[in-house]
Amino acid sequence: MINEIRNKAKELLEKKRVECVIGYERATDGLTARPAFIYDPSEVDRLIFDETCVHNLSRFLIDKKHKATAIVAKPCDSRGINLLLNESQLKRENLFIIGVVCSGVKKVRFNQIEDSLQNKCQYCPQHVPSVYDFLVGEPVTETASRNYAEVTAIEDMTSADRKLFWAEHFDRCIRCYGCRQVCMGCYCYECFVDELDPLWAGIRIASSENRMWNTMRAFHLAGRCISCGECERVCPVNIPLMLLNRKLEKDTVHLFDFEPGINAETTPPFATFKKGEDLGISK
Amino acid sequence: MALDYEPKIVGFLCNWCSYAGADLAGTSRTTYPANVRIIRVPCSGRVDPLFVVKAFQLGADGVLISGCHVGDCHYNEGNFHTRRRFVLLRPFLDYLGTEKERFRLEWVSASEGKKFSQLVSEFTETLKRIGPRKT
Repeated sequence: MINEIRNKAKELLEKKRVECVIGYERATDGLTARPAFIYDPSEVDRLIFDETCVHNLSRFLIDKKHKATAIVAKPCDSRGINLLLNESQLKRENLFIIGVVCSGVKKVRFNQIEDSLQNKCQYCPQHVPSVYDFLVGEPVTETASRNYAEVTAIEDMTSADRKLFWAEHFDRCIRCYGCRQVCMGCYCYECFVDELDPLWAGIRIASSENRMWNTMRAFHLAGRCISCGECERVCPVNIPLMLLNRKLEKDTVHLFDFEPGINAETTPPFATFKKGEDLGISK
Repeated sequence: MALDYEPKIVGFLCNWCSYAGADLAGTSRTTYPANVRIIRVPCSGRVDPLFVVKAFQLGADGVLISGCHVGDCHYNEGNFHTRRRFVLLRPFLDYLGTEKERFRLEWVSASEGKKFSQLVSEFTETLKRIGPRKT
């Protein structure tokens, strides 16, 4: 498997089809993976792929918008690429996607590989990337369906309990904005939270400001979040951010029949409307 | 709950229909509770979800978005977009602990002064029943 990736990367670099190959390499601790940027064909042996390759590399494509780039993409990363293509952030002709059939990646905590799969992989129904130029691994037929059990569990709580539940989580937020930095959907030149006038989220340490940030971060990704789980993975205080994203995903699928990242052609739900649609509020 | 509790409602009214509707309620001397603080916006489609969340953060007990009836938008399609945003934002805020009843989207035309006053009275009653929002 890894030889296929390395050979393809080598071929692409030697033929000058791409300038850079974005993939994974072994980190200095010898256990975990880290993103690798390969410019030289002689360095392709640095590339690896295994169940420690947790990162979503599509984020890095935004900085390489106008350069021919190849990327190693898991199914979740491929959905990210589709999202960026859909929003005209990338040019398809500049991209070469090395798709990898993925059966889930492992949890990494304190530089230790744990035995269980990442949370995102436990509910991910996809094993083959949605978009690729070259596929590594044997294609499998998708069988799993989407399930939102943990979202429904929170919906079933009383309003007061939910408020308490989220207050406990948001109070821990240190607003490092790691969730934003790692997200390929958060590519705004100026984030609303960085604006000073109007000051949407103040810099004081207060739970209402944390709440403001977390609410709007999630809502700006409504109908756009591709459930790669990167925000939750990088959160230093373990806020279950995917519970927010998946609630919005559930509603988007239900109301607008739209799944982000499945293809790059369907117009996103907030960029369009249907005149006669009944969204449960028409009078 | 204190008996003299008066909820604060932030009302985002579209310039072309609902604001004129609220104005009509005034000029035709219909009374409605003074709990609503009206903010005039060019179109209900101007209301960014950010405004709503910010209003709740700064202590609003309820938020009302009101615009032209579907199909009557001055800008042809502004309220279609409002509608899509609203149906996603309301359950999301509810999910985070802000009750569904505190956030409303209503279509009020320029001739519906009566409807506006009834709407605000009813909304105020609802909010009084639910009680103050604990942040």
